[in-house]
Amino acid sequence: MGRILCVAEKPSIAKAVANHLSGGARAEDVRGLPWVKNYKFDYNFHRWGPSSVTFTCVAGHVKQLEFHERYKKWMGCRPADLFEAPVQTFIADDKKIIAKNIETQARYANVLFIWTDCDREGEHIGAEIREIALKANPNMQVCRARFSNIERAHIINAARNPVQLDELQANAVSARIELDLRLGAAFTRLQTLSLQSLIPQQGEQGKVISYGSCQFPTLGFVVDRYLRVRNFVPETFWYIKVLHEKEGINVRFTWSRGHLFDRMAVTIIFEKCLIAKRAKVIKMQKKPTKKWKPLPLTTVELQKLGSRFLRMSSQEVMTAAEALYTKGFISYPRTETDQFDKGVDLKKIIEKQQQDGHWGAFAQGLMNGGFTQPRNGRNNDKAHPPIHPVNYVVSSTLAEKEQKVYEFVVRRFLACCSEDAVGESTDVEVDYGGEIFNAHGLIVLARNYLDVYPYDRWESSQNLPQYVVGEIFEPKEATMHDGKTTAPGYLTEPELIALMDANGIGTDATMAEHIAKIKEREYVIARPKGRGAAIEGNNGAGGRGGRGGRGRGRARGGRGGGAAAAQNGGGAGGVQEFIPTTLGVALIEGYDKVGFETSLSKPFLRKEMEVQMKAICEGRSTRNDVVHQNLEQYRAVFNRTAQQINVLKAAIRKYVVDANHG
Amino acid sequence: MPPSILTDITAHLHARNLYPTPAWLQSFVSTIRPSTPLPALKSTALFRLLAADITSTLAPPPSAVFPPDILNARIQAQFLEGPIVCQVLDVDDVGHSKWSQVEAIEAKERGEMTKGREIVRVVESEDGADALPESKGPHKLLLQDAKGVKVYAIELMPVEGVSVAMSMGTKLVLRNCEVRRGVVVFEPAGVKILGGKIEGLEKAWREGLKQRLIDAVKAGQEGD
Repeated sequence: MGRILCVAEKPSIAKAVANHLSGGARAEDVRGLPWVKNYKFDYNFHRWGPSSVTFTCVAGHVKQLEFHERYKKWMGCRPADLFEAPVQTFIADDKKIIAKNIETQARYANVLFIWTDCDREGEHIGAEIREIALKANPNMQVCRARFSNIERAHIINAARNPVQLDELQANAVSARIELDLRLGAAFTRLQTLSLQSLIPQQGEQGKVISYGSCQFPTLGFVVDRYLRVRNFVPETFWYIKVLHEKEGINVRFTWSRGHLFDRMAVTIIFEKCLIAKRAKVIKMQKKPTKKWKPLPLTTVELQKLGSRFLRMSSQEVMTAAEALYTKGFISYPRTETDQFDKGVDLKKIIEKQQQDGHWGAFAQGLMNGGFTQPRNGRNNDKAHPPIHPVNYVVSSTLAEKEQKVYEFVVRRFLACCSEDAVGESTDVEVDYGGEIFNAHGLIVLARNYLDVYPYDRWESSQNLPQYVVGEIFEPKEATMHDGKTTAPGYLTEPELIALMDANGIGTDATMAEHIAKIKEREYVIARPKGRGAAIEGNNGAGGRGGRGGRGRGRARGGRGGGAAAAQNGGGAGGVQEFIPTTLGVALIEGYDKVGFETSLSKPFLRKEMEVQMKAICEGRSTRNDVVHQNLEQYRAVFNRTAQQINVLKAAIRKYVVDANHG
Repeated sequence: MPPSILTDITAHLHARNLYPTPAWLQSFVSTIRPSTPLPALKSTALFRLLAADITSTLAPPPSAVFPPDILNARIQAQFLEGPIVCQVLDVDDVGHSKWSQVEAIEAKERGEMTKGREIVRVVESEDGADALPESKGPHKLLLQDAKGVKVYAIELMPVEGVSVAMSMGTKLVLRNCEVRRGVVVFEPAGVKILGGKIEGLEKAWREGLKQRLIDAVKAGQEGD
């Protein structure tokens, strides 16, 4: 009988998978590790036949990369030395018992079957486990399970079809770890040693001014927006409104130009309109329109929408999603894929949701002929499907935050499998004194997916009377108005995530952590968005928004979404917005002044690194080349920063020191 | 120099509604080499004239300058038959807030551009590259005729070539244009752009653009 050692990435997965395979495994305690169990059971593997199994786990990374002793001490070397100081991996102190447990178990086993999460990080953790196990028992056969949720049938299928560890992905993580260590340590020491003494001390120890290659660009986005808000100057604009009464309905026409920033120009145009007296209908179009159902859910979307609609930070959303995944209720929550594989039986998933008190009836509707295949997005990470519910769970048995995330995931999934909302839009366009004015109407005919997905808004507008092209009428009223541009809001969490995503800062899995980090390090503070401004902002935010009104069809839908957001954000504790601390502003301004080209506050350097990680994964580049290249690039920035450290000091004095004493 | 050459050049310029002063023609002729073929001379003359300040180089007939009452704001509408040659002294995109234009200029100074949400590093192009991107408008322009009369124009319909990127001192011909309350109404049919610029004006205008926008915004704010 074969002896198989299975190792998962965390205790909850080990427990869940062991129970799926065994139908109830015997849990043995591991001495010194109250939260780790070795599950023992027999299982008939497709590949190895009836076997005796030990299923255990690690807790994330087991090994750690560190500098040699001499370089660990801050005063032991110059920060610049850290770019080439020797490093070594070793088992972290708090992971020694875990490693020992694997070694012990490995001695008795002939197969190591790795069950870490199927992503880059998981691949690397798998490689660490393999190294430890092979050291204890060099003759072991090694393979890994490919799975993306903890549902029973899926797990059994994964157990049947083991694959190889992906060395390339593990190498990419290894490159990232080394770069993070060297860059983080070098810049953190440089910054802290030269700037710490300037910062008013809190408590006994001086503040460590820590650096991270993702955190700084993330902070950069926050500071950028903050400065835009602070520097903003409102301006007056003018516009023309036309009102016409027909069939007892007051029809409001809006100016196709939106508004202009010159009173004289608008006055002249307005006079032209008044002289013309009559308006002529030049377009009357009724057409069917749709509001598309959402795409299958990716991690970035989950984080963005979660922080917008669920009143949770992106990190809380991810933590809850992680817990739901571990319990087998939803699929793996870290995915870039927004298309479902044709082979997946989606109805089977829908079926399980029929029993719910809120959305069950909708799911039944889908089962009874309402089902349509989800739309396909453009992304496929080839590793995980879009986030979807796996098993049904009664909401009240979940913690509050998990409830919200579960509900969102289910509703989103059901919406994907439903039909687009259907409506009829009416566009009336008139020429009045040579100027174009529009009226737009929408009648929602079938809400379809909207019934299960309250996060989107699409509602009928006022009814428009019948107009005929060529029809000439005298407006009841034409008036000239003015308004003011309003400052953009501080950066909200969904906006920040979108910026990070577009600029390649972090991966979908790590973005929330980076955001949490810059809060923890007191570079930014988060507060619930809520103070006015937003309402007026609809009109002409930044002088650009105003023109958006010209868009048709899709754009209207977008506005609907915006309205829903505003509604949620209006009260206390909606979306979070970020404001940099004085230290945060000082650091970003300092680095920008040292050199814009490669400022650490900009996303460019880090984005390049992320691209190279992908290249390693795809076999187009090697770990060593990538590490070397990036170190050289950052070393140039480091040297320039060290030479111009006075620029950074000046920024700290300007914002932190003087501001506190001023 | 045969007098026919002078006649030919004059005719060439007149055909473009440009009526140079005898002094300008004289000085132009004095700088040319007799061996230069006539077509080259014609285009050189046109080029130089377009690159000069028309208030000192042109002497058009009274029908080719702004009428004396053009600035009278009490006149609701009048008609400019033209053709009238004038030059652009200022252009302003009134479709966008001045502050958003300042932000765009600053992003450009940093070498950044946004593409949707993505921040893109702009690679400097070879030719100096401080030209602003074409602005969408509509634009308000300040025009000047050969007599030095300045009048505003507003671009009601997009006219090709009119943008914040256009050179100051650009020459244009107005024909059959409407003037409302002392403001020329720009529509494609009534405006023909001849081109050219005034080097010194262009340079000063562009260098001072950001500061002028900022000053204007701040002034507007104090006015409240």
